[in-house]
Amino acid sequence: MKLGLACDGGPPPAALLDLLGTAGLPVTAAVGAGPPVLIQAEGDAWALAPGVDVLTACLHGALDVAVVGKDLLLERQPELFELLDLRVDLDHLVYAGVADSSRGEPSRPRVATPYPGCTWRYFAAAGRQVEPIVFRVAALAPALGLADGVVDLQSRVEAEAPDLVVREEIAACSLRLVAGRAARTLCAGRLEDLVERLRAALEGS
Amino acid sequence: MIPEGMRDVLPPESGQLRAIETALCRRFEAYGYGEVRTPWLEYAETLEVAGDDTLEAGYRIHDQQGHQIMLRTDMTVPVARLAAARYRDKPLPLRFYYVAPSIRPWAPQRSQDGEFVQAGVELLGLRSPQADAECVTLLCDGLAALDLRGFRVALGTVAFYTALVDSLGLADDDRGKLLEALADRDYPLLESIAGKADVSDEVLRALWRTLELSGTRDGLTQARKLASSDAMEEAIEHLVEVRDLVADAGFGDAVAFDFGLLQDLSYYSGVIFEAYAPGVGLPIASGGRYDGLLGRFDWDIPGVGFAIALDRLQEALEEAGAAPAAAPATLVFAGGLEEPARAAELRRAGWAVATVSEDADPVARPFLRRKGGSYSLDLTGGDTVTGGWRDILRALERR
Repeated sequence: MKLGLACDGGPPPAALLDLLGTAGLPVTAAVGAGPPVLIQAEGDAWALAPGVDVLTACLHGALDVAVVGKDLLLERQPELFELLDLRVDLDHLVYAGVADSSRGEPSRPRVATPYPGCTWRYFAAAGRQVEPIVFRVAALAPALGLADGVVDLQSRVEAEAPDLVVREEIAACSLRLVAGRAARTLCAGRLEDLVERLRAALEGS
Repeated sequence: MIPEGMRDVLPPESGQLRAIETALCRRFEAYGYGEVRTPWLEYAETLEVAGDDTLEAGYRIHDQQGHQIMLRTDMTVPVARLAAARYRDKPLPLRFYYVAPSIRPWAPQRSQDGEFVQAGVELLGLRSPQADAECVTLLCDGLAALDLRGFRVALGTVAFYTALVDSLGLADDDRGKLLEALADRDYPLLESIAGKADVSDEVLRALWRTLELSGTRDGLTQARKLASSDAMEEAIEHLVEVRDLVADAGFGDAVAFDFGLLQDLSYYSGVIFEAYAPGVGLPIASGGRYDGLLGRFDWDIPGVGFAIALDRLQEALEEAGAAPAAAPATLVFAGGLEEPARAAELRRAGWAVATVSEDADPVARPFLRRKGGSYSLDLTGGDTVTGGWRDILRALERR
């Protein structure tokens, strides 16, 4: 089976490799490997690549399964099946703003975010309006006077802009196991086994 | 420049597509289906009758009287419109097929061109498992006729899963969210909604397993265990009968139950199916039963059908090394312009002949040149034959 691991700027997290190893996957070759790379391991192939690329490859059937962050799934809403919450890289997608809120919340805040789609949908679902602007390191935007707030992962907000205050939690995020639509039919048996073993590994840990 | 998502199709790919279309049409006709062609444009209100979400994004224009017109986004609704308008007094069942392009605004994630050609059938007026099985069999038959190896058809049913969610007795709001989570295959979300809605762990686990398992091993057993109402049992037994009939027709190995199979199109009401092939991520064909659709055109008859996405099928065939041969290699005849009778003789013998003037450069093989009274022929293998017209004909005959 061809497996993709989303790695945005660094090797896959050790906790993920531990989990996959416990589930009986040949992780040795992936330890310490940096993306982008394609590893052949015991008849399987592992692709380590940026999350968006992993999603695209999965969507086109070039990868059967992938491990990607829920944040990316929320943003892209790809036509893939989310099979399992791997409970690694636990984080929250949050809406954060500057601590001084004497101005009050604007009626249509401008929000800097790497997740414009997600931001739009979150505000729209609550009947609120928002102007999402795409900013890769969102935390800098309020400091520049560019945005009223940011939508980003809590860990990134805390690391990059500790002076911002988390106002709302949008969604819990963690790494998820996803499968392409074709894989679900064409590799059904092996997919079932994989989910079964991963679930057992999760329950054991 | 052409608009976003559009494409040109060039030889030899266009020839391959034609060959694929022709092979599929032959299979459709072998089952008694007749070809229909419908216009590119329909009244928006006609297509909107289907209540299909994909329409929202469709291209709309206004005609000179100010009516809103749409470019069709699939063929099932136009065929239903056509049947209800033109075939009401004809005996049932009706069998139609089409090979036709439809158009939707391009979205890169969907992995489909804006304009896409589908080959499909609609079988109207039969409610039985036999009708469903005929469509699944015909789909398998068509794919097999093209030598597509390794394809699989996932068989599911909408009836099972709506009955299943109904049986949980959820509040409307939770029911809607649960259906959405199912449609998105978002298992973690499903779990959290079910948890909040007081669904027992046992039921949730069973529901989960059934949806998750695509049925290679125990999807059917799980589904039967989960069946808590007559409606669910009927849906399962209907599907089992369809599978058995398809197996009787010789395609048992190609089909598998998938009780978690769901589709976006809101008009499906019973059996649904999707075909997949190695190397192509999205379904190469999909279809199902839509018993309510004709009723929306005031003719309450059942229907079932499917559509094959030809671009994806072509990709799958290429992946499987089974791309059909395009037209035979063209013989370029330098001097043929001056000798139309000889060019015609070659064409009668079955060659595709492109004529150029006597002094043209040899661009491709096979290449035939007239030199004074004699001829020289460069063959694709690298051989060259020279001689009189008869020698050339003999050499070509041997190829």
